[in-house]
Amino acid sequence: MASIIINGQEHTLPEGEKLNAIQAATRYGVDIPYYCWHPSLSVVANCRMCEIEVGSKDPKTGEIKMVPKLVPGCQTPAKDGTVLVTDSPKVHEHQRMVMEYLLANHPLDCPVCDQAGECGLQDYSFEHGQANHRYVEERTVNPRKDVSDLIQLNQDRCIMCTRCVRFTREITQTGELQVRNRGHHAEIDIFRDHPLDNPLAGNVVDLCPVGALLDKDFLHSQRVWFLSKHDSVCTRCSTGCNISAEENRGALWRFKPRFNPHVNDYWICDVGRYSYKAANDAALLSACYLRTAGDLGPAAIDKVLIEVGRSLASIAGAGGKTIGILSPFLTVEEAYLAASYLKGLNPANVLALGQVPVEGEDWSVKPDSTTGRTGDTSFIIPRPFTIHAERCPNRLGVSAVLEHFEDGLIDFASASARVAAGEFDGLYFASDAIDPWTDEAAAKALRAGVKYLVVQDTNVTPLAQLADAVIAGATFAEKAGCYVNADGRLQYSEAALAPRDGSLPDLDVFAILLGRDPAPIRSRDVLAELAGVIPVFAVAKDGRLPVFGAPIEGAEGVGMGGVPFQDAWAQHRGAKSSGN
Amino acid sequence: MADFEPVLSRNWNVPDSHTLPVYESRGGYQSARKALTTMDPDKVVALVKESELRGRGGAGFPCGLKWSFLPKDRKETFMCINADESEPATFNNRLLMERDPHQLIEGIILGCFATKASTAYLYIRYEYINAYRILEKAVAEARAAGFLGKDILGSGFNLEIYVHRGAGAYICGEETGLIESLEGKRGWPRIKPPFPAIEGAFRKPTVVNNVETLCCVPHIVERGADWFKSIGTPKSYGPKLYCISGHVNKQVCVELPLGVTARELIEVHGGGVWKGRKAKLVVPGGISMGFLTADELDTKLDFEDIRKPGCLGLGTAAVTVMDDHTSIVDYLYNTTRFFAHESCGQCTPCREGCAWIYKTMKRIKGGGGRLVDLDIMLQLASNMGMMPGTTICGLADGASWPIRNAMAKLRPELEDYINTHQEGVRQITPLQEAIFAGQLAEPNLISISLPILNKV
Repeated sequence: MASIIINGQEHTLPEGEKLNAIQAATRYGVDIPYYCWHPSLSVVANCRMCEIEVGSKDPKTGEIKMVPKLVPGCQTPAKDGTVLVTDSPKVHEHQRMVMEYLLANHPLDCPVCDQAGECGLQDYSFEHGQANHRYVEERTVNPRKDVSDLIQLNQDRCIMCTRCVRFTREITQTGELQVRNRGHHAEIDIFRDHPLDNPLAGNVVDLCPVGALLDKDFLHSQRVWFLSKHDSVCTRCSTGCNISAEENRGALWRFKPRFNPHVNDYWICDVGRYSYKAANDAALLSACYLRTAGDLGPAAIDKVLIEVGRSLASIAGAGGKTIGILSPFLTVEEAYLAASYLKGLNPANVLALGQVPVEGEDWSVKPDSTTGRTGDTSFIIPRPFTIHAERCPNRLGVSAVLEHFEDGLIDFASASARVAAGEFDGLYFASDAIDPWTDEAAAKALRAGVKYLVVQDTNVTPLAQLADAVIAGATFAEKAGCYVNADGRLQYSEAALAPRDGSLPDLDVFAILLGRDPAPIRSRDVLAELAGVIPVFAVAKDGRLPVFGAPIEGAEGVGMGGVPFQDAWAQHRGAKSSGN
Repeated sequence: MADFEPVLSRNWNVPDSHTLPVYESRGGYQSARKALTTMDPDKVVALVKESELRGRGGAGFPCGLKWSFLPKDRKETFMCINADESEPATFNNRLLMERDPHQLIEGIILGCFATKASTAYLYIRYEYINAYRILEKAVAEARAAGFLGKDILGSGFNLEIYVHRGAGAYICGEETGLIESLEGKRGWPRIKPPFPAIEGAFRKPTVVNNVETLCCVPHIVERGADWFKSIGTPKSYGPKLYCISGHVNKQVCVELPLGVTARELIEVHGGGVWKGRKAKLVVPGGISMGFLTADELDTKLDFEDIRKPGCLGLGTAAVTVMDDHTSIVDYLYNTTRFFAHESCGQCTPCREGCAWIYKTMKRIKGGGGRLVDLDIMLQLASNMGMMPGTTICGLADGASWPIRNAMAKLRPELEDYINTHQEGVRQITPLQEAIFAGQLAEPNLISISLPILNKV
């Protein structure tokens, strides 16, 4: 069994993983500070912050031989018999020196810097640096510049770790960024007339350990320590990127990627990154509506739900059929409760999948271990990243639920045709889509086909204008639940915002319609229930999912392993995030 | 030493020495013929190993050992010839390339034959336009005469030489920086391991040799390892080109056995210090190696003895002499400026440290120095470089050595300069002084000093 000695303590190395000293030490609770190293980028060892004392233990004699020089932890493989010393005076002295160098030309403008609070320089100078400063020379001030419409580069704050440059060369392979000039005048820059505008460009802001690369969208809008972070899933496409949805005072301020080796690695796309704005939209439905005497008027939610329940039950009682159109923006739990409700009213009721929005074609990057790489690549596991053309989070999940209740999946086109042909008396239209998918003509055709129309949505759509009852549902940020991504991975998404005034989360709507008691209902209980009922979801049978989600039955069983990763300065200090 | 016969520079003063007919008429390409037709590659490696030829580029790494690090099962090997001679005051490679390019080409043929490399990249310094033209012509001549190309001299050995011009960076003389630059990237040295012998240019096993090292190889093949070891001092065998420049009457490049003393170089070969003055400092091998003072002139300039008075190494054996009118401050100002300018900007300690030291030197020179600056500079210099392990390559060592030497050998002069040269406008302000001390600039306003979290 391979073992490693860290600060005198012997630990067993995990099998089948190639780790460097930083990763191995982190596993056992020893933090080695670093800047330039990132697990998915090649190792260049240029910040020199992670230098530690390294040695090896002779397996036969047990004698420990140390390397006389300090060695960067990022380029040191954690092998059997490796000895690491991270807390010696020599190491501390070195870290203090590197901090002094890094801050020599730093403007120390933390009060106006967005990175403050999640900054590698702040954290490490507190932990490893020194309070007074011996540098009395004139500072080198490299200029501030725009590298794209969305990203600003404050070169004076830059520590030249080149993470951003390596990202554009190794991951997106577009190579927009470069280093120019030499020595202390070295700076990151774009090539003239070639802005940093690839679909993953925003990730350089997350990669930047200091406040050099900043998102103009977030610029000076919030102090990061006021933001509460919620482990969520992006709903802008069927990739299902793991994100941290960051909220303060009832509004979302930004999305940041969360590591998931099976889905999005460390990245999110710019479309997903800025999709948070839809949850802050002032035009979202802010009340429920009921049609009385031909006019839609606001009504209390309980009144609307009673009315909807009574009307649909009376249709069923009279032998009429209702069709439920369930959108791929609903969570698995919501789809399950909605389907249970409608099928419970009348087993002849029909369930169909809502429109699956598609935009363009799938776009993907496939980094490998050589293209664009410069340094040591032996620790890297290259993983592809895809932005799906399918712009909804849960087609597979809702389909799996529908297929359990209904033989064969009915798509939106055939459902609309059947509604327009007058086959049904009632239509329950549960949308929550970010963009409306019915225009006025389609809405009129649907309306004309049924006697009673319920629309559950977050926006004022043409169909909602024609409905008999409008229920204000939850946006992606206001609901908790599970989604199944394009690869069949079931993932849990936390709610980031409280339900806005006048609305009720969809899960509660369906629970109340079902007559369940007591509301509010928890998505975990529903997940456990449906996992017992629908075999496809058996993996979630106790209502809990692993941190990285789990593949549903029939999906390719990509491994469940992996360890959550977050740069030290992005973590809550003191309490590390516990995932799910 | 009277019987020493120059070999590397023997053709330099022959008219048209850069052409193939002249070179051949003086016994050229006989070693290549001998090796390619009668020896196998391993035998050449063994011969060079036996001769204990040490790299002439600066570090003095044994050449044969370097060649034997290549993996046995390699498919393709590259040879890179380091002609990016950018160490200040060094010009021996330039003369070797301009005056006798075919000797170099023969050395490359032998080196490539020994390492089984069929592609050689000659990375030449941007500023050496003349040498570049001569080499291009010489390579074409050699190719036309069948010394390059396919099946050289009927041995089945193929070789192509590409002459590649650098873009003017000192750091590209570092072997991995050179490889990066050759690949078309920014010349930032790579981390080791993997060493170039395992994964070098284009991710293939690569040997990087200096021009002068390769020029020695034909002579070793021709005359044998014993001849080579009969020249020089123990552990430093063979002839060496010494470049003498600075305050001497005659600035020359002379070929001498390794181990000649600095005094002999100045007095005999450089014609003495100019204007009848005395030598104050002698830089033994490019400014990154530190310096010798007047008392240390009897030091032997070879790979071993030069370390005794605290120099970093022999370097390129570019001896720069400074007379007793030279101020140590001017010398340090120039060296620190050079390294601050040439630091590639990759590793934090070198990027920031070189600039910091340079700015401090500039302030001291201008008349704003403080005695404490000397301690800070010494501490910074001792903190950076490959020797304490804080940088990827050795540039920072080179930058720090002159400072370390100056502090150890001539500190009284520096202190004297600071004490006697003070100009108000150059001095640091009370505010800067307060920040430096970790205190408020006007402590009377608030009765506490700044909180000090962890004092040094």
